[in-house]
Amino acid sequence: MYGKGILKGLGVTWKRFWNTYIDDIAWLIRGKKRYYTEEGVKHRSSKNTRGIFTVQYPEERLILPEEARYLPFLVYDEGENGKKEVRCTSCGICAKVCPPQCIWIVRSNDPNTGRPIPEPTEFFIDADICMNCGFCAEYCPFDAIIMDHDFEIASYSRNVYNMEKLLKPASYYRSIRPENYARNEAERKAKEEAKAAKAAGAQKATAA
Amino acid sequence: MDNEKLSLPQYDIPEDIQNAVAITTLDRLYNWGRRSSVWPLMFGLACCAIEMIAAQASRYDMARFGMEVMRPTPRQADMMLVSGTVTKKMAPAIVRLYNQMPEPKYVVAMGACASGGGPFKEGYNVVAGIDKFIPVDVYIPGCPPTPQALIAGLIKLQEKIDKESIRKVRWYRKGPDTMEIPLPILGPDLIDPRRNAEIKMAAAETKEGA
Repeated sequence: MYGKGILKGLGVTWKRFWNTYIDDIAWLIRGKKRYYTEEGVKHRSSKNTRGIFTVQYPEERLILPEEARYLPFLVYDEGENGKKEVRCTSCGICAKVCPPQCIWIVRSNDPNTGRPIPEPTEFFIDADICMNCGFCAEYCPFDAIIMDHDFEIASYSRNVYNMEKLLKPASYYRSIRPENYARNEAERKAKEEAKAAKAAGAQKATAA
Repeated sequence: MDNEKLSLPQYDIPEDIQNAVAITTLDRLYNWGRRSSVWPLMFGLACCAIEMIAAQASRYDMARFGMEVMRPTPRQADMMLVSGTVTKKMAPAIVRLYNQMPEPKYVVAMGACASGGGPFKEGYNVVAGIDKFIPVDVYIPGCPPTPQALIAGLIKLQEKIDKESIRKVRWYRKGPDTMEIPLPILGPDLIDPRRNAEIKMAAAETKEGA
C-alpha cells in the first residue's frame, strides 16, 4: 500500500499535538504554571517534556548556563560614595589576543610626571566585529573583562561600545556568574594575602 | 497585538464593549497589519543562516510574529535578512535582490559579518558590512546571534515599523525618491568589473609562463 509512510508521519504529528494538551492538563491539576515561569521553561527544555516545546521568547526566555557568553563588558568595583574603581589597568593583553582585533584602548598618562597610569581613558569594543570567543576574559590577569549574558542588543546603527557603555558593576558580574565570581574572589584574596606575607617577611629581614 | 494596544490610550471605551470596539488611527491599524506580516526573503549566506533556521523551527517559532513565510522570491518579500558573511562575489546578487523587492522593504544585518565584516573585516574577498551597499535598518551583533537574539532584533524592527506614519513614508510620495542608497566606491576594497579583461589577460600570461 502506498502512502503508509505519510500516514505514519502524520500520526507522529497528531500524537505530539495531543501530548501538549495532556501535559498542560497534568500541570494544571498539579497547580503549576507550564508557561511563562522558570520551572515551566526548565521542564520544556528537559528530555521529559512531551508535546510542543516552543520557548515563547519575549514573555519567557531560556535559562542560560553560567558559562554562556555574548559580548564582553568591563567590571568596576563600587568604592566609597559611588566611586567607580575600574579593574582594567590598560595593559592591552585583551587587545593583543583578540582574534578579530575589535578592542582598542586609549592609555592615560599622569599630566605632571608624564608617566603612564594603570587606568584606561577610553576603552572601545566594536560589537559588530566581536566574535564572542571569550579570549579577552580568559587572558585578562585582573578579571576586569567578563563575557556578558545580555543578548538583547540589536540597534538601528553600528554598535561601537565605549567605556561608558561597557562598564558594569561587580555586583552584576556576581548576579550573572555566581560560581566564577566566587572563584575569582578567592583567587584575588589568596594573592593579596601572599603579597602581604611577602611584604611582612621583607620587613622582618631588613629589621634583622 | 491585543485590543488594548491597538486602541489609542486617550479614548475611554466602556468596559462591556471593550472586546468589540477599538478606536484607533489608520496609521496604527496599517502598521499593526504590516508589522505582523513581515515576510523574510529566503536565503542564507553562512553560519548565521543556521541560527536563522533554528529561529524559524518549532523551538523558537518565528511564526508567532507572522514571519514564518520565507519567500523564495524577492517580489513577495518585505524583509531581507542578511544572515552571514557577504563575499564580494555575492554582493552584486544581494544588491540585485534588494532592488527587486517592492517597497516597503527592510534590511536586517544579522551577525558580525553582515554588519561590520566580523573577523574577515580586512579580508580580500569579504565586504566589510553590507551597509556599504544597501541601507540597513537593524544591526544584530553576535557571532552568530542566538535565535533569541535574532528575535530580539526582529522585535526592534517591529518597533521601527510601529513608528512610521502613512502620510510621511517615502514610498507613497510623488516625485523622486528621497532615500539615500549608498554608492559603492570601486577601489581597493572591491573588484572593479571594468578591469575584468585586464585581469583575465594577466591570468592567461601567468598560465603561459608556467
